[in-house]
Amino acid sequence: MSRQEVHALRTHDADAPEVLWLGEPRAADAALTGGKAANLSRLAAAFDVPPGFVLAVPGAELPRSARATVARAYRRLAALTGVDEPAVAVRSSAVDEDGLDASFAGQHDTFLNVSGADQLWWAICRCVASFGADRALAYRRDAGLPEAPERVAVLVQWLVPADAAGVVFSAHPVTGARDAVVVNASFGLGESVVAGTVTPDALVVDRDDLAVREHAIADKRRMTVAVPGGTREVPVPGRLARMPAIDAAQASAAAALALALEREMGWPVDLEVAWAGSELFLLQCRPITTLSTDRSTA
Amino acid sequence: MTVPEAASPAAQPIPLPPDFQVYFEPGEDQLLWERDRTHFPAQLTTFEGEFVSGALKRGLSHAMRRYEAPIDRMAIRILHGYMYQAMIPVTGTAEEMDARAKRAEARLMEVVGRLREQWEESWLPEIREHLRAMEATDPRAASEPELVAMLDDYDTRLGRLWEIHFEIVLPAYIVVSEFDELYRDLFDGEGFDAYRLLHGFPTKTFEVGRDLWRLSRVALESPEVTMVLETEAAVDVPARLEQFAAGRAFLTELGRHLAEYGHRTTNWGLSTPSFIEDPRPVLKVLKDYVGQPESADPTRELERLVAEREAAVADARERLQGYPAAVVGQFETMLEAAQVGLRLTEDHGFYIDAYGVSLARELLSEIGQRLAAAAVIGHPEDVLMLHGAEIRAALSDLTRSELHAGVAERRTHLARYADVEAPLMLGTLPPGPPPDSPFTRLTTKFSGAPAAPEEEGIVRGASGAAGTATGVARVVRSLADAARLKPGEILVAETTAPPWTPLFRVAAAVVTDTGGILSHSAVVAREYGIPAVVGAGRATTAIEDGDVVEVDGDAGTVRILRP
Repeated sequence: MSRQEVHALRTHDADAPEVLWLGEPRAADAALTGGKAANLSRLAAAFDVPPGFVLAVPGAELPRSARATVARAYRRLAALTGVDEPAVAVRSSAVDEDGLDASFAGQHDTFLNVSGADQLWWAICRCVASFGADRALAYRRDAGLPEAPERVAVLVQWLVPADAAGVVFSAHPVTGARDAVVVNASFGLGESVVAGTVTPDALVVDRDDLAVREHAIADKRRMTVAVPGGTREVPVPGRLARMPAIDAAQASAAAALALALEREMGWPVDLEVAWAGSELFLLQCRPITTLSTDRSTA
Repeated sequence: MTVPEAASPAAQPIPLPPDFQVYFEPGEDQLLWERDRTHFPAQLTTFEGEFVSGALKRGLSHAMRRYEAPIDRMAIRILHGYMYQAMIPVTGTAEEMDARAKRAEARLMEVVGRLREQWEESWLPEIREHLRAMEATDPRAASEPELVAMLDDYDTRLGRLWEIHFEIVLPAYIVVSEFDELYRDLFDGEGFDAYRLLHGFPTKTFEVGRDLWRLSRVALESPEVTMVLETEAAVDVPARLEQFAAGRAFLTELGRHLAEYGHRTTNWGLSTPSFIEDPRPVLKVLKDYVGQPESADPTRELERLVAEREAAVADARERLQGYPAAVVGQFETMLEAAQVGLRLTEDHGFYIDAYGVSLARELLSEIGQRLAAAAVIGHPEDVLMLHGAEIRAALSDLTRSELHAGVAERRTHLARYADVEAPLMLGTLPPGPPPDSPFTRLTTKFSGAPAAPEEEGIVRGASGAAGTATGVARVVRSLADAARLKPGEILVAETTAPPWTPLFRVAAAVVTDTGGILSHSAVVAREYGIPAVVGAGRATTAIEDGDVVEVDGDAGTVRILRP
């Protein structure tokens, strides 16, 4: 165990770490859970976001007593997902006074496909400890932030065993056309689509009747799959590469979800989604930033 | 930026060797004619040629149409006794071909999804019905006009059997080949990993081996029977066994085995006697089995294969844990279908290629006897030198005598070409490889890729089964000839057929001239865990009997280590 981890484990008698479930009002408080988790939590109140919780750690130090708290929360997650030992993604964010995540992507560890209470505890410890890591400290110094963040939030969220994943735009992201919803989908977890290492199937769904108007099946060469201890990008078998990743009903459901979110948010949205069995999960929702007003009226 | 278009290569006529002149009808010379050495390494007689071309044309064309393969029909020519076949591709616009390929894929996958049901509920019952109907006839008791009627009836039934044959083998081989592709894609599989997930199911060939093993254990119960099998040449065994009670009891057991499994020959074709007519190859295997310890029991071998398969399947499933349902579903469907498919690539042959052909041979033997007795031909086996129409005419008029000269002329013709090296390809080389499809991928795996250029001291083929072995090469021309093969030696042959299977236990490695990763030789070598190099082209001519050779099954090479 590294020095940082020992440091992180030192008992801290002030406020104990707190478990806040996605969808609970308090979890949507960015000052407690960080921006990303707070956003997800707001979405989770009304939409099918993969279940998860935030471990809010005051003072960025993790007492040993938190282990039992985490184990209890993990058992509840198992009940919510219906999976004995659900695979989870563990991500941390520093929550500073302004209540927003300082954007230091890559400065902290993210653990994908963690399962079992012991592995989860280990991953959480590593996440919290990473705030004392040299790179993160240097970053904080350079960014003019205090060396230790006020609190650390660790997001533990079910890693949906996705059969297919993709992105959905409630308006055409390039032409700006507003009469159709664009769905991109490919096999496996979403990373290959988001990172652009695969050309996904492209579907155009009618905004009014949710009928699939276009369905261009791409030669999908890569996919991200969960492997023990993480995820890996692997080739899609030749026989499958040109088969549709999702069917018309799945595309229509994703389009309906995008339109509901657009109404909720009040702006055109860009979603990350995953299909697992018969279920559709919302992974992320952002405004479409590429739309320019002159095009959106065209 | 413009990319300069690659010059498309032109079709190339293949020059005819001076000692192998052939006449092609107009247009025929534009096709690529390939010699089928895998099934027909030796010259075919007149009737065999007619029988084989009829079967292939009807059966294969039927199946190609049924599955909408990109091949319109098969053309067959028997040239100086050697069998050549050409595929006549379907032509059409790119869109038409594309649509056809999609329909073919859909049809094949539909059949592949229910191979087991098709086999158990449709193909096998129909096959058995035809075999039963033919077996119910008694050529020996029939009049000559009845023999003509029987010939016509057999013709119809065998024709249908060949249709079924290709209805089975196309999807069966394709699903095995496609499972192999899927496995490689998923696991970066090398070589033969995929086949470990498919083997260990009891095939008819296994069943025959198991029954022979049982016979060998029966023999061991009597020291006298054991002694005869150990010391007498196969040809003398039956007469010696007749001389004592335990021997006669054993012959009765052997007779039962032959009645059930004896409708087989050492090779494809009508000219080789079945094991019922000449049980020597069976006795040869029995002689070998009697000397083997209990550990060589084929059932134990099967158990080993089952354990290996189950472990490999469990390992693959474990590795697919985090994969999308579509991938796992595809894997499971293809696995189950390919397991059935691999069994069918073996079992169809027992019933059709072996049993059916053996019944045809029984009928022809009787006709040969009649015609020879009436002096229409000189010897009973001359019947194979006649055309079907000549046989029918002769049976209607036993006073004919003009056939003698024809038979002699045909025999002379075949003899003249017996030692000629018949070219592997004739006609015209197409400008490029055929478009990629399950059919073309299969053809390569079954027949092997074109042979590599010759190199001194080294024979190159395709990798058929992993491993290396060094030993004395036995260049074997027939199963009877294989009696010379001693344990630890390397079996070198043009091709092997299912009855050769017991030799794989004796040999340290196998090298064949023909075949690919899915050929009989490769499949069986993998099951017996010995290295194999297949499709090596001229192994049987480049390697001399008695050469010491080093077989590298992984690299697909054979090094000749002459002293």
